Amino acid sequence: MSLKFAYYPGCASKEITRESSDTTLKVAPLLDIELKEMPKANCCGAGLLKDYDYKLHLAMNARIFAEAEGMGLDIMTICSTCLMVMSTANSELKNDEKLLAETNELLGEAGLTYKGTIDIKHFLWVVMKEVGAEKLKGLVKRPLKGIRLASFYGCHTLRPSSVLGFDDPLNPTSMEEITAALGAESVDYDGRTKCCGFQADLVTEEVALAMTAKRLLSAKDSGAHSVVTPCPFCHINLDSYQSKAERVAGRKIDIPVLHFTQALGIALGLSSKDMGLDRHMVPLQDLLDSI
Amino acid sequence: MEITVKVKRCNPQGNADCKPSWQSYDIKAEVGMSVLEVLLDVIAGVDPSLVCRRSCRSAICGSCAMKINGRPLLACDTQIIEEYEKAGRIELEPLDNHRVIKDLAVFQEPPWDEFDKIIPYLNEKDKDVAMTAEDEHAIDASQKCIMCGSCNSVCNALEMEKNYLGPAALAKAWRFVGDVREGKKEKRLDRLSQEHGIWDCVRCVHCTEYCPKDVAPLSAIERLRDKAMAYGIDDNHGAKHSTAMVDSIRRVGRLDEAAMTFKTLGLLRSIGMIPFGMKMEMHGKMPHPVVLPAIDGIDEVRKIMDKREEEKKKEELD
Amino acid sequence: MVFHDVLIIGGGLAGLRAAIEASKNGLNVAVISKVYPVRSHSVAAQGGINAALKSNDNWEDHAYDTVKGSDYLGDQDAIEIMCKEAPEDIRELERMGAVFSRDADGDIAQRPFGGAGFPRTCYLADRTGHGLLHLMFEQIRKYEVTVYPEWFVTDLIVEDNIARGAIALEMLTGRFHRLHAGALIMATGGYGRVFGITTNALTNTGDGMGLALRAGAPLMDMEFVQFHPTTLKRTGILITEAARGEGGYLLNSKGERFMKSYAPNAMELASRDVVSRAEQTEINEGRDINGCVYLDLRHLGREKILERLPQIRDISISFAGVDPIEEPIPIRPGMHYSMGGIMTDKDGKTPVEGLFAAGESACVSVHGANRLGGNSLLETIVFGRRAGQSVTEYCSGSKVAAFPKSALQDATRKAAMIFERDAGVKSSELLERVNSAMMECCGVFRTEEKMKEGLDRVRAVREDLPKVTLTDKGNVFNMELAGVYELEHIVDLAESILLGAIHRKESRGSHTRLEYPKRDDKDWMKHTLIYKDGPEMRIDHKDVTVTRFEPKERKY
Repeated sequence: MSLKFAYYPGCASKEITRESSDTTLKVAPLLDIELKEMPKANCCGAGLLKDYDYKLHLAMNARIFAEAEGMGLDIMTICSTCLMVMSTANSELKNDEKLLAETNELLGEAGLTYKGTIDIKHFLWVVMKEVGAEKLKGLVKRPLKGIRLASFYGCHTLRPSSVLGFDDPLNPTSMEEITAALGAESVDYDGRTKCCGFQADLVTEEVALAMTAKRLLSAKDSGAHSVVTPCPFCHINLDSYQSKAERVAGRKIDIPVLHFTQALGIALGLSSKDMGLDRHMVPLQDLLDSI
Repeated sequence: MEITVKVKRCNPQGNADCKPSWQSYDIKAEVGMSVLEVLLDVIAGVDPSLVCRRSCRSAICGSCAMKINGRPLLACDTQIIEEYEKAGRIELEPLDNHRVIKDLAVFQEPPWDEFDKIIPYLNEKDKDVAMTAEDEHAIDASQKCIMCGSCNSVCNALEMEKNYLGPAALAKAWRFVGDVREGKKEKRLDRLSQEHGIWDCVRCVHCTEYCPKDVAPLSAIERLRDKAMAYGIDDNHGAKHSTAMVDSIRRVGRLDEAAMTFKTLGLLRSIGMIPFGMKMEMHGKMPHPVVLPAIDGIDEVRKIMDKREEEKKKEELD
Repeated sequence: MVFHDVLIIGGGLAGLRAAIEASKNGLNVAVISKVYPVRSHSVAAQGGINAALKSNDNWEDHAYDTVKGSDYLGDQDAIEIMCKEAPEDIRELERMGAVFSRDADGDIAQRPFGGAGFPRTCYLADRTGHGLLHLMFEQIRKYEVTVYPEWFVTDLIVEDNIARGAIALEMLTGRFHRLHAGALIMATGGYGRVFGITTNALTNTGDGMGLALRAGAPLMDMEFVQFHPTTLKRTGILITEAARGEGGYLLNSKGERFMKSYAPNAMELASRDVVSRAEQTEINEGRDINGCVYLDLRHLGREKILERLPQIRDISISFAGVDPIEEPIPIRPGMHYSMGGIMTDKDGKTPVEGLFAAGESACVSVHGANRLGGNSLLETIVFGRRAGQSVTEYCSGSKVAAFPKSALQDATRKAAMIFERDAGVKSSELLERVNSAMMECCGVFRTEEKMKEGLDRVRAVREDLPKVTLTDKGNVFNMELAGVYELEHIVDLAESILLGAIHRKESRGSHTRLEYPKRDDKDWMKHTLIYKDGPEMRIDHKDVTVTRFEPKERKY
């Protein structure tokens, strides 16, 4: 039986972290997952839209949901922030008739309605819950033997658990379980479930970078060969801004950062080119050579 | 049931730096006992020098917040056997992000001058305003705060920036800004939009996740930001960032990173980012505004946004 | 040395309300509290605050209900003041920013409470005390009241019957401080911790009553201890009366609504003494479920429970493992409130000049032999305000008395003595002895024999007080040391409760003597006063003020 979703990579993964979406599109068929593009889908607002205007935020999210509803599919995303923003909006709309009606009034302006029938899932959940670690293990072509990975969950993968509810926000295990299925080892470290600082990059940059550095250093000092994250925004801070974080930390960090999708891709036998590994700012070659 | 309770103890006796050490107590727990009851037994029977604050025992005074097995909880509201069976251990520590006084007692409340920054009382309007059930509902969650410090102890922004007002104070701030009877909303929002106010939050969602009273401080912060911008208080990076996102959605339906950087930071700081941008460019990571196409159905997006802007104009600010 | 016009001891509702009033009047006011103000036990008051607000209600009815509830021991002049001023106080709380729950018309919602002939209890869901205490805390910032949080008062300084200030232990540093003041207001709340199982906070040790007694002020009506009908068995944690106000049933082991045999009209909403006695009788006669009866809310339905009684549901789940939506809650009567306290007049004055009191630590008396639900929060607000007002008059009319030089030295010397003792007994052991004596000898039903046994046991503990030693010899946050001072008060208060109870040879309100089952208006329409102006406590009396309601038999 094949799984089928409306695919919402999120804005980051359409541009800056394109490599993650490219990888997803190649990994999904190997896992019997069919992904349908959403050509009309707008940005979820990443929370910034919610800061600007709560009702507009609901309406813009509902517009995304309406498209999926029209396709008769649940949404799968590879972006944790999109997951959190869309899931909380969806839960609020589903649990408050008045809010849903007000939102539909706005959508009506564009001839749309949202009935409140769809769910939103992260690729990580789909792999964990619907594909399963056992099946995944059987598909591995290139086990990540001898590699120690530091899973960096990303805030919006886990919290608020009352809405997301997929994994324990304090002691999550899904990333480690998948890591194990791929043949790699996991390290435990202080920053595992904490914030990378992304949302403050353009607001209080120094604080954001100090946070990024602290998380990376705790991963590095735990003996990890690489960080792996299911969130593209975390990836931007941890990889793209790592050199800036090093400047704030006053110390070389130099730890590669894989997208969760790439960890799957490597183990399932995709090529570096398929996964856009050359797009990373922190080089991955040593890591790949050691597998 | 016999359980070993480990407590992280620290007795500074006036010294600023104090090396904490773990002490174990073997206790007998009965079904229904809270962590606090067990601590009280230890204090009464074994070690009266162990310090933890406590008072009401019914999760409303906020005294006994502490870290239990790695997360903040009210000791009186945590069943010890349940917790032990879940975690396989009972480890008690003082709250993070707070200076320790002794053992499990920390400087739990903000100093008065910090507290006063949010103007912690209602400034009545000149005319009497009657409150409706809906008005009450708008600030209901933020009113449930018991000042236990749990949210501040897990706040990732506070971890890095000690001057940040923090989620507890901001939830309290919303209790006033969101009150229909409040007469000085704009003044409050202006203050809250200054450095280390509402825009320091990194949206890590820890506060809302771990609040024992469902205050949802993050929602309060989001509402404060929304209100501040509605009042036109937007001359700061946070508000500019948010507004740039809205512009970007209107223009292309999605996030236009390059334009957002420019609009948030302004010309000079954006130029400062050019050398870094060139490095990004080499890896194909530099966003290019000129080539970013709009999503299908961008007209729909604009219609919805126009309609909402119209609605907003009608919503009175008070 | 610091000086304040008024030093208020206790940071709960009565203390903070008094502070606001005195500060508004231009006095230099300080609040000293052994806990940070928002931790005070007022925070735990769940149900609500009474006021005759509606056009079809009136304050005289409220006064009548209160007098009847008090079993005619309440002073009617004071009760009239409280009920008459209540509506304006509620409106003032709202102007300060209180957020009362609203009804469908947008007015302040009111719910029925026990012993009341009209639904006149205003509330904020079921966390009324929390809402009001945080409100008062906000207001003391507005009026720039000085606060000494986590300072523990060890001594009141009274010489020649004039209050002059206090000595206090700063918990953070272990230092003793002199606090010179023109006047003192005691607002330290109740003494629940005299009993082993109580709804009261761990911090409710009656310090203010003990301090005032030692300073020469009399305690009044100490034998009247309220046992709340709905408390959880092992811990004594409170389930609000609002649970019955919203329609909850009380059931015995046979599933009967047994209140029909005790109060056929009011049923579950009879006054607290009546309901507690009924429950205790059911339990004593074997119609119990493991020493409890049931409070059943299931018929109220999920929605009403979630909207009106959310905290009660949380408490039941957390502390009794029972979800009231699905199952009845096992409850029993538990020590809850002290009707007695420091004797004051209608303006909070005690017989000691410059010493005032308000709230549960005071006895005005508006509650007489039994308090009605919703009247305790009201008392803190009305009489807290009035104390703040009358202290202003006192301060403007009298000159400041000097602070004795030796007081600080005496206090530090006493502490040093406690620190120095090496061998002896832990204060927790002595506390346990008082607690069990009071639980066994001075409960819902009382007899001469048991109470005398209780008195002997408490006096034996008093003998052992000088043997208390400390494990914690440090200065910083020494809660064990504070516990020694608390214990001394607990012993004094236990003795005064027992003395009053043995002395009063009738049954009235919460005080039920098996040998004297009837109320005796001929001999006992009078207040009991306890003095400790010598080595022994002594008993005296004061007449009850009757204005418009002549005593008659109580029926619910």
